Amino acid sequence: MTLTVLALVATVVVGIGTYFMRSSFIHVFADREFSPVVRQALRYVAPSVMAALVVSLGVGGSAEVGIPEVSALVVGGVVGWRARSLPSVLVAGMVTLWVLRALI
Amino acid sequence: MSVHPDIRRGIRDVIPVLVPVVPFALVLGLAIAEAPFSNLVGWLGSSLIFGGSAQLTVVTLSAEGAGLAAIIAAGLVVQTRHFMYSAAFAPVFSDQPKWFRWLGPYLLIDQAFALTSLRIDDSPASFRRYYLTVGLSFWVVWQATVALGLIVGPVVPEEWSLDFAVPLLFVGLLIAAIDSRPSLVAAVVAGAITWVTLGIPNRLGIIVGALAGVAGGVIASRR
Repeated sequence: MTLTVLALVATVVVGIGTYFMRSSFIHVFADREFSPVVRQALRYVAPSVMAALVVSLGVGGSAEVGIPEVSALVVGGVVGWRARSLPSVLVAGMVTLWVLRALI
Repeated sequence: MSVHPDIRRGIRDVIPVLVPVVPFALVLGLAIAEAPFSNLVGWLGSSLIFGGSAQLTVVTLSAEGAGLAAIIAAGLVVQTRHFMYSAAFAPVFSDQPKWFRWLGPYLLIDQAFALTSLRIDDSPASFRRYYLTVGLSFWVVWQATVALGLIVGPVVPEEWSLDFAVPLLFVGLLIAAIDSRPSLVAAVVAGAITWVTLGIPNRLGIIVGALAGVAGGVIASRR
């Protein structure tokens, strides 16, 4: 399978799956409700999968990781934690990266 | 010609929500441009999935050589929160015409849910006009901005290292998802288990780690 076909198949399946999730209770399971355990579990999906992606892509990824990169991710994370906004993570992280790469 | 008040209100409300999404869409376009597969296929995800985190996950994992099963599983797991939106809107949509019950869910993204869930007590027609205004304007801006990132990304000088914005975006999404102590536990457990299972081929460790994180979050919330 070429990479393009792989990406296309994944995109189509995730697209269909997403539509199914968004419409599930409106069409298929109308009149049904989640059990409290499932509702609770769904709440922890986002932090779990994002942490898993960050570790897998960061540590197991192909990119070279040095002091400027790690610092930029940490600064971006701390600023984002305080500011609670995605653009501020990007700005803080990129500026840190540029400054440190220029200095080191 | 005057614009309907529901439409005007929808546009007014969607603009502040759209602004923070612009950098996300640009970075996503950049990630697609950098990925070693057809740009068109990458961009199609914006309309086929219409969900930024899942699309970024599919694009990045495909580019990093993950296996098909891991890409699909990770992309779908990222989206599971939509079950909650769907469940919350089921009673609201039951008063709507059939065409809207089919089109509406396609536009049910995080931001649309956040804005329109404040309008569920409006009349069905008014809710529908507001919902479509928010959803469709978001859709148009999203498609155009991802395309813009795809075009602009490769033109930007290499020294700017804009590709580093992709891991930063993932960190930002992680930070945004940690909003309580159990969610922090979930993230730490997921990260640790993913680390331990890095040796599993095709990056299926992501799924193992994510499931462990969910279990950790549920256990932590019961103490």
